[in-house]
Amino acid sequence: MVHVERLSHSFGQHFALRDVSFSLEKGGFLFLNGPSGAGKTTLLRLLHGALPVMQGRASVAGFELSTLPRRRVPDLRREVGVVFQDFKILPERTVLQNVALTLEVRGVDPGAAERRVRALLASVGLEDKALTPCGLLSGGEQQRVAIARSMVANPKLILADEPTGNLDLDLALRLMDLFKQLHTYGTTIIMATHNREVMAQVPEAQVLALRDGRIWEGQIAGQIAGQTEGQTGTAQAETSRADGKPDDDGQAWEDGA
Amino acid sequence: MGLFLRLAARGLRDLTLHPWAQAFTLIAVAMVSLLAGAFLLVLANVDRELARAGGQIQAQIYWRPGANMTQVRGQWEDIRGMEGVRGLQSFTPDQALSALSNALGEGVDFAWLRTQNPLPPTAEIQLATPPEARETDYVKAMVSRLLALPGVDKVRLNPLQTETVRTWIAVSRRVLWPAIGFLALVVGLVVGNTIKLSLLDRRDEVEILHLVGARPWYIRLPLLVGGFAQGLCGASLALVLLKMAQTGVREILNFPPLFIQIGFLPLAQALGLILAVGLVGAVGSYVAVRD
Repeated sequence: MVHVERLSHSFGQHFALRDVSFSLEKGGFLFLNGPSGAGKTTLLRLLHGALPVMQGRASVAGFELSTLPRRRVPDLRREVGVVFQDFKILPERTVLQNVALTLEVRGVDPGAAERRVRALLASVGLEDKALTPCGLLSGGEQQRVAIARSMVANPKLILADEPTGNLDLDLALRLMDLFKQLHTYGTTIIMATHNREVMAQVPEAQVLALRDGRIWEGQIAGQIAGQTEGQTGTAQAETSRADGKPDDDGQAWEDGA
Repeated sequence: MGLFLRLAARGLRDLTLHPWAQAFTLIAVAMVSLLAGAFLLVLANVDRELARAGGQIQAQIYWRPGANMTQVRGQWEDIRGMEGVRGLQSFTPDQALSALSNALGEGVDFAWLRTQNPLPPTAEIQLATPPEARETDYVKAMVSRLLALPGVDKVRLNPLQTETVRTWIAVSRRVLWPAIGFLALVVGLVVGNTIKLSLLDRRDEVEILHLVGARPWYIRLPLLVGGFAQGLCGASLALVLLKMAQTGVREILNFPPLFIQIGFLPLAQALGLILAVGLVGAVGSYVAVRD
């Protein structure tokens, strides 16, 4: 489903991502972990076609991103649902309209779209806010709108950038149940998160730790769940090369896994 | 089709986002369209006058008052048989007096003049230049020939049928397309800039639409419809103003010897103007949003 090979990206002189390589099979679940500025968002944006692939290769849902013409980017985005860190919702539009936007651009009949959206809103706990303008919602509620919008078109792949970042733990865990359910149905998910308890919800998921734009470590989420922050750091340091660089073939994830 | 209509409706709804900007655009488009419409109106009226004359040269022949009517009637028949004469309408002094009374309206009665009628016999003829002859030479020769007829006092050519008018029309037609092109450019720029403003206002929405997989046409279509609607509305407003102006000046040239009633644009031209300005608005929008 996702294959990334020696992917690099820079903003001017600053490298946001260097030689990142990993693969994720269809139906897989991958957590991107790492501090701010590690390159998680850049990687997600590259996978979504929001940034051009300048160095290396990336293939997503059958689309080769390094050669994908601009006019075909919408085709890629129709296969990929995205939850953005800053939500990217329209405050003056209602919850229903925001979530239905994904279906609207696909030409789904408004009546059918509304039924589907209302069903989904019930599962993210927003059924009573369907007609509320998003600008009147709390940050957590807006986050859920963004999550519902990413899911509504049944994408093959969901890219989620800190989707539970603004939610309290209870709600975050409830939403993780939703992601797990989608995962069970065969949706491939890549999620950037800091939250270990969130990661622990999917113990079989792969974890890709990024630092300064490089792959720092690859693990199984279940291994990290039992560790404290310090322990994890130690474990990553122990399994990484002494110079802090990924292995020469850039396959640190496969090594760690 | 449903999606197309929904997007078109959204394009129209979006026109209310910036009412003042849209109003100014509408006025600007209407003013430019009014200029184009006025230009077309003048040409249409000149064309109409030419058509009314059947594309022929008209001439009025005046005999001297008191001319021998038997001789004049014979000359009318001779003139009908001349080369290039397509028609002749004759007036005896009595008929001319009646026509004058009728033209001046009810309540005017020149019956008291009947015994001392000052009007001469007249005839109006339509001439068509024979294919092998030059118009100027033919007209000059015909005027000389008519003036040589016994009893003929003067021959007057209809001022609309002179070469000057023909030259003016030719020059106008040559100027027409560059002028229309320039006006179209102005409309395109004005509408395009307003659409850009609308696009800036909706940049968050446009970004989100891109991110959820909207194709470019999905984003552009409402803006193109908006530009098209601005063009249509502006041109329609211009035509309303033009009609009001035309109604005001309709009779301004309706006096002897012109007798020109200024008419409005033919329906096809009016609809063509509306459609053309609408299309220019849509093209202006397309250029504004193509990136």
